[in-house]
Amino acid sequence: MNRIALKMLMGDRAKFLGIVLGLTFAALLITQQASIFVGLMTRAYTAINDVGLPDIWVMDANVRTIDLDGVKPMPDTMLSRVRSVEGVQWAVPHYRALLNTRLDSGRVQGCLVIGLDDASLIGGPAIMVQGTLADLKREDSVIVDEVGAHRQFARTDPMTGAKIPLKVGDNLELNDHRAVVVGICQASRSFIFAPQVYTTYSRALRYAPTSRKMLSYVLVSAKPGEDRNALCVRIASRTGLIARTQAQFREASYHYFFTNTGIPINFGISVLLGFLVGTAIAGQTFFNFTHDNLKQFGALKAMGATNGMLLRMILMQAALVGFIGYGLGVGLAALFGLAVQGTELAFRMPWQLLFISAVAVAGICMLSAALAIRTVFKLEPAIVFKG
Amino acid sequence: MTTATRSVTDTQAVRLRGVTKFYGSGANRVPALRGVDLEVAAGEVLMLVGPSGCGKTTLISIIAGILDRDEGECLVFGADFSTLSQHERTARRGRELGFVFQAFNLLPTLTAAENAAVPLLINGVEFAAAVKRGALMLDRVGLGERTGALPAELSGGQQQRVAIARALVHAPKLIVCDEPTSALDHQTGQSVMELLRDLARSDGRTLIIVTHDARIFSYADRIVRMDDGRVVGEGAESAEITGEKSQELDHG
Repeated sequence: MNRIALKMLMGDRAKFLGIVLGLTFAALLITQQASIFVGLMTRAYTAINDVGLPDIWVMDANVRTIDLDGVKPMPDTMLSRVRSVEGVQWAVPHYRALLNTRLDSGRVQGCLVIGLDDASLIGGPAIMVQGTLADLKREDSVIVDEVGAHRQFARTDPMTGAKIPLKVGDNLELNDHRAVVVGICQASRSFIFAPQVYTTYSRALRYAPTSRKMLSYVLVSAKPGEDRNALCVRIASRTGLIARTQAQFREASYHYFFTNTGIPINFGISVLLGFLVGTAIAGQTFFNFTHDNLKQFGALKAMGATNGMLLRMILMQAALVGFIGYGLGVGLAALFGLAVQGTELAFRMPWQLLFISAVAVAGICMLSAALAIRTVFKLEPAIVFKG
Repeated sequence: MTTATRSVTDTQAVRLRGVTKFYGSGANRVPALRGVDLEVAAGEVLMLVGPSGCGKTTLISIIAGILDRDEGECLVFGADFSTLSQHERTARRGRELGFVFQAFNLLPTLTAAENAAVPLLINGVEFAAAVKRGALMLDRVGLGERTGALPAELSGGQQQRVAIARALVHAPKLIVCDEPTSALDHQTGQSVMELLRDLARSDGRTLIIVTHDARIFSYADRIVRMDDGRVVGEGAESAEITGEKSQELDHG
């Protein structure tokens, strides 16, 4: 009977394609929207990933996420206090703040200034497009991220109107201080759309408006074999600050964006819409397919096909269209991801997402099949005697 | 028109006693059958005739175990379908009964051989073996050359031949036919009926045929006339219905 089920399904190509396309669309919409959502939410902690090396971030107790929740700086003395906690191998200062830059054209542009430890340059960009990280040792030097150099920092050629990107050797003015671009780097996209300007910690303090508290974070490496969670607790108890492992800080940032922005609800609606549209299209088409074949199902019932047989036939039909639709939908979503790779569009498709969309498509198929099965079970086989 | 003469066996295929069936409930309760008594011998070709709405279809649905009667007794080869569970009843129907429908009810996406094999597949025969037997049965109904054709590629008469092959392929003891010739022209109807009767007789099967088509009455061993949910006439002489009466039956 399984072969009959498949032949019934695939014999009518128009309806078969209709059901498969409905499920493909649903799988595509669910996976693609959810991937964009995951990609966007990942931006909540890309800056933490970019800093990379330290095991622990130490910060003011009120900091809930990196960069966006406003800077809550600490006094510089906190660096020494952190360094004095046993289990700390090294601790370096880290500065992050949004400052204004004046360009050659006179235009003022906001940017994220990141001050790295003068000696070690820990927390610097991992990928340099031009120049080297060590160039930051030069007088008044800064490194600018590639996207910022090509967009916000670019100037317009008065003759041609073409955009000329900021390049190595160009000057910027940060709070009345001259800064010379010595390198161009790649930086991950985050929710801060301002260009990123890397410099040394001491120079960043010169660029920033003077304040009693200037230290944004202390980046800590634990001694080998040291329990990082225990070290966090120890640092917190000795300093009154908050110490988070990288994973904990990522989690806190993610949680902040999840609970304080409209992103989850907006994308949740999109994903839900994909599910509903998919259910409506695939469910309706599948139901129509069954409905159009009611006479045939009735004849099978009259000829001795049990409800169990018909149930297996419908489930097999649903499973087949679900499998094909899911494969096509996820494949198209992956192609979309490949197409937007390297652009500003956030897109991330982890295996968990594939699993979730598989469950969603299976749910659509089950719903559609349940509707069809209900109709077939209620079907009176005497229908076949009615002409 | 001559009455078919054939001695039926003594074995009883179907026995109905006081079978009553109602549709609806309360004030809308309508009687469809009012105490029908009927016996069909094994190997007999019985035609049920009567005007539309007289209860013919309800009667064969009860005999086939598709509908439950409200009162009376219905035994098919000694078995009372109403005492069986739904699953047992369906399974037994699949083993012991064959069906020929007015609208053929072939699966449009299956080939003729696959359509003919459906009852075997329902009974758990492996696909390739079932289709092979379906093709052999198609050969018996004169469609050996069209085993791979889809129903849409066949004429009405050919489709009904496929349906007959399907009704016979699993060697059922009883074949129930609902208006098997009403969708066919006169000549095709005659040849289909002849084929159905000959095949059934050669294997000793019982045929119960519901029909309005007076042109095929000659193929019956016995004709039972129904009206208003009752059997109103019975016997071979019922086949000697004039053309005028046939018209009455047709438009009942």
